[in-house]
Amino acid sequence: MTFSRPSTVEEAVAALSAGEQVAPLAGGATLMAIANAGLVELEGLVQMAGVGELSGSSRSDDGTVRIGAMRLHRKTAGDDLLIDGQRVIADAAGQIGNPAIRNMGTIGGSVAFADPAADYLPSLLAADAVLELAGPSGRREVPAADFFLGWMETALAENEIIVAVRVPPAPAGSVGIYRKMSRVAGDFATISVALVLQMDGETCADIRIGVGGCNPTPVRVPDAETALVGSDLNTDAVDVAARQITDACEPQDDVRASAAYRSRVLPRIIGRVVTEGRQIALEGS
Amino acid sequence: MSKLEARVGIRMPRVDAPETVAGEAMYTDDFYLPGMLFGAVHGSPIAHGRILSIDTSEAEAVTGVKAVITGRDYNHVLAGPFIKDETMFATDRVRYVGEPVAAVAATTPEAAREAASLIEVEYEDLPAVLSIDEALAEDAPVLHEDLASYFCTFEGKGTGNTLCAGDLTEGDVDAAWAECDVIVEQTYETGAQHHLYMEPSGAVAEPDRQGKVTIWSSLQSISLAQQRVAEWVNIPMAKVRMVAPRIGGGFGGKGNAHFQPAAAALALKTGRPVKLMLTRSEDFEMMRSRHPSRVHMKTGAKADGTLVAREFEVILDCGAYADDSPGVVSVAVLMGRGPYRIPNIRARGVGVYTNKLKAGAYRGYGNPQVSFAAEQQLDELAEKLGMDPVDLRLKNTMNDGDRWLGGQPVAVSSAAKCLETARDAATAAPALPDAGPDRKRGLGYALFSAPHGLLSTAANVALRTDGSIAVATGAVDIGQGSDTILQQIVADALKLDLDQISFASQDTDSSPYDWKTAASRVTYMAGQACLNAAIEAREKILVHASDLMEVAPGDLELRDGGKVGIVGIPEKEITFGMIAGRAHYQTGGPVVGASEIMFETPAVDPAVAQSKGLAFSKVGAYSFGAHAVEVEVDEVTGEVEVLRAWCVHDVGRAINPAMVDGQVIGGFVQGLGYALLEEMVWDPDDGRLANPTLMDYKIPTAREMPEIHSIILETPFGDGPHGARGVGEPPIVGAPVAIANAIANAIGKRPTVMPMKPERILDLLDGESA
Amino acid sequence: MTRNIPVSLEINGDPHDLRVALSDSILDVLRDQLQLTGAKRGCNQGVCGACTVLVDGRAVRGCLTNAAACEGEAVTTVEGLAEGLTLHPVQEAFVEAGAMQCGFCTPGMVLATAALLSENPTASREDVVQALSSNLCRCSGYQVIIDAALAALETGVEIGGEAGA
Repeated sequence: MTFSRPSTVEEAVAALSAGEQVAPLAGGATLMAIANAGLVELEGLVQMAGVGELSGSSRSDDGTVRIGAMRLHRKTAGDDLLIDGQRVIADAAGQIGNPAIRNMGTIGGSVAFADPAADYLPSLLAADAVLELAGPSGRREVPAADFFLGWMETALAENEIIVAVRVPPAPAGSVGIYRKMSRVAGDFATISVALVLQMDGETCADIRIGVGGCNPTPVRVPDAETALVGSDLNTDAVDVAARQITDACEPQDDVRASAAYRSRVLPRIIGRVVTEGRQIALEGS
Repeated sequence: MSKLEARVGIRMPRVDAPETVAGEAMYTDDFYLPGMLFGAVHGSPIAHGRILSIDTSEAEAVTGVKAVITGRDYNHVLAGPFIKDETMFATDRVRYVGEPVAAVAATTPEAAREAASLIEVEYEDLPAVLSIDEALAEDAPVLHEDLASYFCTFEGKGTGNTLCAGDLTEGDVDAAWAECDVIVEQTYETGAQHHLYMEPSGAVAEPDRQGKVTIWSSLQSISLAQQRVAEWVNIPMAKVRMVAPRIGGGFGGKGNAHFQPAAAALALKTGRPVKLMLTRSEDFEMMRSRHPSRVHMKTGAKADGTLVAREFEVILDCGAYADDSPGVVSVAVLMGRGPYRIPNIRARGVGVYTNKLKAGAYRGYGNPQVSFAAEQQLDELAEKLGMDPVDLRLKNTMNDGDRWLGGQPVAVSSAAKCLETARDAATAAPALPDAGPDRKRGLGYALFSAPHGLLSTAANVALRTDGSIAVATGAVDIGQGSDTILQQIVADALKLDLDQISFASQDTDSSPYDWKTAASRVTYMAGQACLNAAIEAREKILVHASDLMEVAPGDLELRDGGKVGIVGIPEKEITFGMIAGRAHYQTGGPVVGASEIMFETPAVDPAVAQSKGLAFSKVGAYSFGAHAVEVEVDEVTGEVEVLRAWCVHDVGRAINPAMVDGQVIGGFVQGLGYALLEEMVWDPDDGRLANPTLMDYKIPTAREMPEIHSIILETPFGDGPHGARGVGEPPIVGAPVAIANAIANAIGKRPTVMPMKPERILDLLDGESA
Repeated sequence: MTRNIPVSLEINGDPHDLRVALSDSILDVLRDQLQLTGAKRGCNQGVCGACTVLVDGRAVRGCLTNAAACEGEAVTTVEGLAEGLTLHPVQEAFVEAGAMQCGFCTPGMVLATAALLSENPTASREDVVQALSSNLCRCSGYQVIIDAALAALETGVEIGGEAGA
């Protein structure tokens, strides 16, 4: 039983590869809950907190914001480097769990675990985020759109970790909002919608809609978005897009709601979120 | 230590608050005894089956394991409060997922859990019944084939999967329908709420060399638990000592022992202390729930709103063992008329066995379920009659001298006053800013009552040699604050400061008897016993003082701080200490006041009502309350938000108004969870509880809390200490149905299934059947 | 569960050199090794908040905080708030307001409030509700706890540096 405290990404990957059942320990919010419930037999833990490259956030000249995998939800929620439509990530971060969980949980841990109801997931899609990964065979980048493969299944290879989440600049003047419906405050989302929207006067110049909680993976339907670009986002047009997105989802029955409920409500919530985003965009301009 | 004023009617802080905030209060899991072992329970993985064999050899081989016990090691003793149908461990048959089959004690919790998981039990699967309909189906598998032979404390034992059935009739319902101008009829369903006390259940048991076992466990009664441990472990009650540690909430779910006898048995077998704590999931799966219910109700009124007749049937899904179910069924029947005059009633209450964990006592005890139907029917009638729902209620509320269902006289009724106060408060409140688009607001009311008098209790108040007072009762403070309330009552009666009172923690070796902290009865009953005992002690003190001071007792008065003085002569006074010195060493013996009380008013007066098969013959002492609730319904999602509530409760006398507010606001929020959110769900395929965690079973957080106004009325009821009645349960009787009525008021459709989850509300909004 | 991982940390101001198991939480260590039982095991899944402790001054879940990962950290439990017989202002405010019933959630509520007090001494009622939404209470309906937290904030501001002294 080993507990390692690496300080570089390469050391961390090596430590993970040192045995079976060796898990990376990020904030612990998920891993410890699973361990406490006896659902995982651990032989080793690799503490990511000491790996410098995984911490902090930075903004490059082109406006891309790089969020270290170990960045706490609390920090991301208050990260002023995220501007315009990138705010969708901060908005999602501020709605994860509750303050105590946001003091512990990390973006890397949450994304790697890939619970389809987790708040970050649809916002990463809406923000066109890219994940920087590192593993035994080196480093690579995977767009968020290609990262989530199935129910709690990701593109992460064995002993590969998330190093950072890269959020490209959003269209100038765009808004980014995240809205969730949950049974109580702090719960995982029953249904969630992440929106990045740029308006040019009354016309939609750019729109990206991510959906969570309604499919084994977060969902984004580019065709539905394309149809909205150039429109004034009237109710009928949004409704068509919302139905198209809903049709792309395969919701499951769970203790939060039935699949049928999600299919019924999702288009309405998308409509509501787009209306709200449009309002914010128009007020801001 | 500062002088703490403790009087009746003041908002004094709880006596135990300092150690609570310091983190020093000792709950069951906080006991770490030298040499202590850790226990774990092996629960059934299937919902219904026969046990063919149990092999404990692998479990015994685990390093650190000191004992493994199963039902075969103990006599097959059937126990239960109304029907004796349950054993310590399942021996021949399991009837729900999680039912204890064996238990282990080991040197570490990990070893105990590992060993428990290695116990090999071979089962023959039997078909399981998970709902009322499945249980009552003609070809349903019968859970208790020996039901006919079980010992039963009342006359309503059933057959097949019906564990109990009772009837209550007043007037002539069949003839009365003809007098009605409007009739409403509907079926209502409610779900299984979990108590979710914040402290999971557990026990620490310590044996001694005389074969006696001392048990600290989070329970609402030391006396009932002592009896159950003795029954199941098969030792005399003299060898069982229950001590109440701090209790982290109960709400009915910790009303009687369950796995505690197993902890005691492990301790006695190993000769070492054993701590057996349930995990949160085990607590969900093994303990108790509120009864899911189906209520069919029909109510008729004249065109002027006079209520004429009601017929109803309450069927409760009781789970695998009877536990408190027959009592819950009885209270549901008795409360089905509410605080109204309806001359013709026909009521039937039925309890049904199913292959789920047992449903038991839970705050409200059948009353919330039947009130969910009854108080909605008032609104439905009002709508049909074109009357205001509050006016309809006021026209029919019971008055002084009326009778409760069953015939018990209503000494003092404040039903109308409660409802009027709630309406006045709600209508006087400034309107909130307009609701957003797609959102509708509604205001709903509920008027209700609840019983508090039940069974027996006792208290002692003794003068010590220095003049301080020792108070003892068996009533356990489960968090509601009775330790403080009872001391306030005694301090008030004897004009003492709190520092002069020693209040004994509850211990079956030394405490007077109390049945249970339940039925909102501790202030009403144990409070009265404490007051009686204090008054008896006071009279003896005055007799001593009269002798010492050579004046007539009538010329004496108690003075603050434990003194007796001569009326009108401030300088003439003696202390309790001087009196105690005389009593202990010269004359009369120690000054002790003692009181035993039993609630003996029959629930049913045969001259008024005909009843058959009800489990409680003596229950009553009712109180009144009314709630007004404002909600907002999101028409897009079906979500309901409770915005404001005005909760009026007549408690007779608020011994400590802060604690009354605590019961009211806390009870309302628990009712809000019950109404909108909380429901235990079983997987129809395997009978497993699908949501036995706090991730999956949600309760309201601080962010769901509405603006709640607790309004206390004090109409002395005659009996009860200073006229006080209980308030623990009433808030959760009113909250759910007031919310239902507010939803109906908002959307013009009536929710008949609780919890009123977004999905069900959306079905109503979209015109689909709920 | 072999306790073979050495970890040095500070608990309530005192240094501790401990050996912990791989998946031990700080809650396990506090309760089972040190018998500091103020932090409660309510769900062991990070939902109820009864196990709240402060790590580096921030309120976190004791049950989800890996013990070995606390190397070099300063942990404060509810037992570390009072100075001897003198309660912390937040504790005083809870006593005064009667902000408890069964008390099982109280240590967590007190610590969540103390953390808020130090992070945001001018917190609004909404901030308080947010902060305390981390912790479940089944008895009180929260209102009186929120009132107590607001009272503590007021007191804390008034007596400034004396808070916690």
